[in-house]
Amino acid sequence: MIKFGKGNLRIPQWSKRVFMVAGGCTPFRKYFPEYKLEELVMMGYKMMLEENDLKMSPQEIKDSIQFAVYGEFADHFQDQLLCEAKVHDYLGLDPLYNVGIKTGGATGGSAVLMGAQAIASGYANCVLVAGWERMDEVDTRTGNFYISTAACKDFETRMGRIYSSYYAPMANRFAMAYNLSEETRAKIAVKNRGYAVSNPNAQQPGRHTVEEVLSSRMSAYPLRFLECCAMTAGSASVLLCDEEMAYKLSDKPVEVFICGGSHTLRVADRRPMDIPLLPNEEPGMYDELLKESGRWPGFESFLAARFAAYLAYRMAGINDPLEELDLVELHDAFTISDIQTYGDIGLRPYGQEADYVESGDCYHTNPHTGQPGKCPANLSGGLLGTMHAVGATGIWQAAEVLWQIQGKYDYFHGHEKWWKRAGKEKPADYENLQVPDAKQGLWVSHAGVGSHVTVGILRKAW
Amino acid sequence: MAAPYEGPLTTKYIGTPLEFHDVEPAWVVKWPRSLTHFHTYGMLTPFFKGLTEGKLLATKCTNPECPFQHTWLPPRADCPDCYSRMEWVEVPTVGEIYAFTMLDYAGIGIEMTTPYWQIDVAIEGVDTIFKGYLAHGKAEIGMKVKAQFRTDNPSHTILDIYWVPADE
Repeated sequence: MIKFGKGNLRIPQWSKRVFMVAGGCTPFRKYFPEYKLEELVMMGYKMMLEENDLKMSPQEIKDSIQFAVYGEFADHFQDQLLCEAKVHDYLGLDPLYNVGIKTGGATGGSAVLMGAQAIASGYANCVLVAGWERMDEVDTRTGNFYISTAACKDFETRMGRIYSSYYAPMANRFAMAYNLSEETRAKIAVKNRGYAVSNPNAQQPGRHTVEEVLSSRMSAYPLRFLECCAMTAGSASVLLCDEEMAYKLSDKPVEVFICGGSHTLRVADRRPMDIPLLPNEEPGMYDELLKESGRWPGFESFLAARFAAYLAYRMAGINDPLEELDLVELHDAFTISDIQTYGDIGLRPYGQEADYVESGDCYHTNPHTGQPGKCPANLSGGLLGTMHAVGATGIWQAAEVLWQIQGKYDYFHGHEKWWKRAGKEKPADYENLQVPDAKQGLWVSHAGVGSHVTVGILRKAW
Repeated sequence: MAAPYEGPLTTKYIGTPLEFHDVEPAWVVKWPRSLTHFHTYGMLTPFFKGLTEGKLLATKCTNPECPFQHTWLPPRADCPDCYSRMEWVEVPTVGEIYAFTMLDYAGIGIEMTTPYWQIDVAIEGVDTIFKGYLAHGKAEIGMKVKAQFRTDNPSHTILDIYWVPADE
């Protein structure tokens, strides 16, 4: 769609308020032979029940759940249809109804959106949202091929058989249109992999330099290996409730707003259109930019992310995202996808995305001033540093934002028991990346080259 | 009609034992998969057939009521704007590189030698951009390219079209 009809732009509204009270996850690894898939899901689910200061016992919470939403990206990887049934039975939740949700990389975000809809409609007042991916049943290059079947199999898959090759053309176009340097891109990899050092669950933590990133092996020019996320085995869970149940269960519930947008599977099919404006943007402000670049969203931006933000900000009553959000978790599957999203969700106007990095706003501590960053991104380590167990990703990101708002970053990342669970030593350079007094955070769950995107907002509600 | 059950049966295992990939910390077995799908090109068959005949076919919406009447490449049979069935049109076999990458590390099953230039080509009169690869030369945004077709020994895939620099 390149022109909106009258009804298309209605702002979503919950019939009942929706809350998130708890999150859990597994360690994330390239290869996880110790556990079967359903055993991994149990590990994240139990952590959610037991570790979130809930005011009911795990058994009582289990007795309160009425509905479950499960996220899984690819049947190819699991090689098991109806994994949902196997997991649901393993969690002992039969005969409560459950559904499986599948929207590529945005599967986790979509699962939260579907769970929230179950709460908002009154179908349920306590919903489990869990996701997983087990990408270790095949070797890496077979995994690359499986993922590339989430490009168009007739016209694109054969052109690369690896997803970096569908992002790389966007990176080259973006560099030209919006004057993005290789160094700015590399700084994202350095930052997120660096934050992953403090995450006990991280798969690819590391203190890297810009030079190391840019001299790492080329995947698809200009994207180097260190600019690409890895394939992961792992699981994550969150618990959604209505208002009454949320306060019964938790002294620190957060309110949930989440909307989605979509766009063509093939980026090349994206026809130029007018930019749907965020609440703080003025008509005409992009006229000059569009005169130069010619087409929006083009290869530079994601209509799906812009549309999801367009709806979500209005649903949550957010006017100026950079001012009103205390942190964000973005879908940094590639350095470029992270950067492309800054304009879409209004952390910067389109064309000025690089400034979100160069200004220092995206850091926990602004490297230029030594003061807290204005709106830090991916303190969890993101997809680049910590994980992309695809069906779990958008759920895990939500849990990381939840814990920040609850002031529990240090518990969930710094406590020895999580390092022990992951089989790792807590590093001497562990940093407590808690955002002081975080009240509101956002997470982006993103599929394909922007085929499905959810923008979720969590807000302190106590 | 099959014979009814008439008595005791003996069943033998005729499978192939699985090999181990790992035995510690848990048994991980090698689980072979070899599959062939039967994939239809459906109403886009003329496009793929056209490539083998040296023709580049797009679809165009010719419905006078359609607000856009766009031309699509990759083609699609039905117009997403007005839902009418579109018409086949031959489009120019020259274009300009809109975006590109040099692909160094490809997934399993890649059918071209690596590294190679994957390019996105803007074609006059086409409202979308068309992905392909540059068989030789050095890709740059704005570079003019022309299409070549694998009419001899075609692959029956999208790889039956590729691009070369326009000035040769």
